[in-house]
Amino acid sequence: MTDQWTDRLSEYLDDELVPEDRAALEAHLRQCVACGAVLADLKRIVARVQTLEDRLPTQDLWPGIAAQIGATTGTGSTSAVVPFDRARRRWSFSLPQLAAASIALMAISGGATWLLHPGGAAPVATVPVVSPVPAAGGDPRVALTTSRRAAGQSYDAAVADLQGVLTAGRGRLDSTTVRVIERNLATIDSALAQAQRAVAADSANVYLNSHLAETMRRKLDLLRQAAALVASAS
Amino acid sequence: MTPPGTGVATLEHQALGRSDSDAVDATLAASGDAHAFERLYRGHLGRISSLARRMLGDEDVDDVIQDVFVRAWQKLSTFRGESAFGTWLHRLAVNVILGRRETLGIRRQRHLDGDAALELVPGRRTTPEIAMDFETAIERLPAGAREVFVLHDMEGYRHEEIAQMLGLATGTSKSQLHRARMALRQHLER
Repeated sequence: MTDQWTDRLSEYLDDELVPEDRAALEAHLRQCVACGAVLADLKRIVARVQTLEDRLPTQDLWPGIAAQIGATTGTGSTSAVVPFDRARRRWSFSLPQLAAASIALMAISGGATWLLHPGGAAPVATVPVVSPVPAAGGDPRVALTTSRRAAGQSYDAAVADLQGVLTAGRGRLDSTTVRVIERNLATIDSALAQAQRAVAADSANVYLNSHLAETMRRKLDLLRQAAALVASAS
Repeated sequence: MTPPGTGVATLEHQALGRSDSDAVDATLAASGDAHAFERLYRGHLGRISSLARRMLGDEDVDDVIQDVFVRAWQKLSTFRGESAFGTWLHRLAVNVILGRRETLGIRRQRHLDGDAALELVPGRRTTPEIAMDFETAIERLPAGAREVFVLHDMEGYRHEEIAQMLGLATGTSKSQLHRARMALRQHLER
């Protein structure tokens, strides 16, 4: 049942044959039922392995790992420990990365303004934003921090306003919707707290700052949708 | 009152992405937060465990998994967020596993010239436990064929990468993969 082409079928399946061999094998497949059947099986195997589920160990290995890294186990008792090879991470940022972070902050401050004045004219940022290109000689991280603080004030006001709308109108929403909103708010608040701690640990990390900004934006989006649901239920 | 579930589907999309939370936890862990590292451990344990088990079999696999995560903790400072944390961890795990298999002496039979060894993989067709049989059949492949099969078909590495990791010629990697697939044919549901 095997012939000179059978051993090339996996390469054919993985598209690793040169064009001449591929054409020759395809010509062979048109007349060889046995090779066609093998090829079909090989395709099924490749598909089959993608459906296998991950298998967890039969026992929790965390206590052993925690002991080796110097952490304690048990609820609420894990202490912060210093990684074995902890060297201060060196981050370098390109101007496009800084610009991306700036845009994220602009989106937050602009979005907050729009949220506070829905139906008004085109959004106008009411807080300072970071210039995508830092001034010559200036430290872009300083500008970033200053802008974040200003944007944060506007953000906090927008969040408080929307949460007030939600609190006042939650009785008009069905219980399933309220439950989903609360669960997602809790998830986002937890992520926000973690992101804020991460930024505190590595304040120069533009990725983390951008992630924090994105998480804040998601909370605003969620609150805005919740407020819209309250309005539509009125 | 809104109809039940109005807007729920949209609201569900507010959930945070896994890679984002991983990146945050990785940074926290690198600063010494063991809670954050435990979250990473629990989030990635299944995949790392499966990889180790498929590459090495059951023997000492728990010890290897622990070793992977301890090494990850030690090397967190080298994770720079240029790829997803899961990708970084996976690469590290493959290196630890390949190092361990050398220690275990698996290499002796790695490239056992094949067809006779592949015949050792028992076949059972159309049983209710076919899924486990397929998983078991993978674990019973000769070490060399199994390593290539797991790395290529399950983990997505290219032959050139596998050849470099295992110290093989690229052609050998390709032939081992084909042999593994051919041996597993008998374990397909019919």
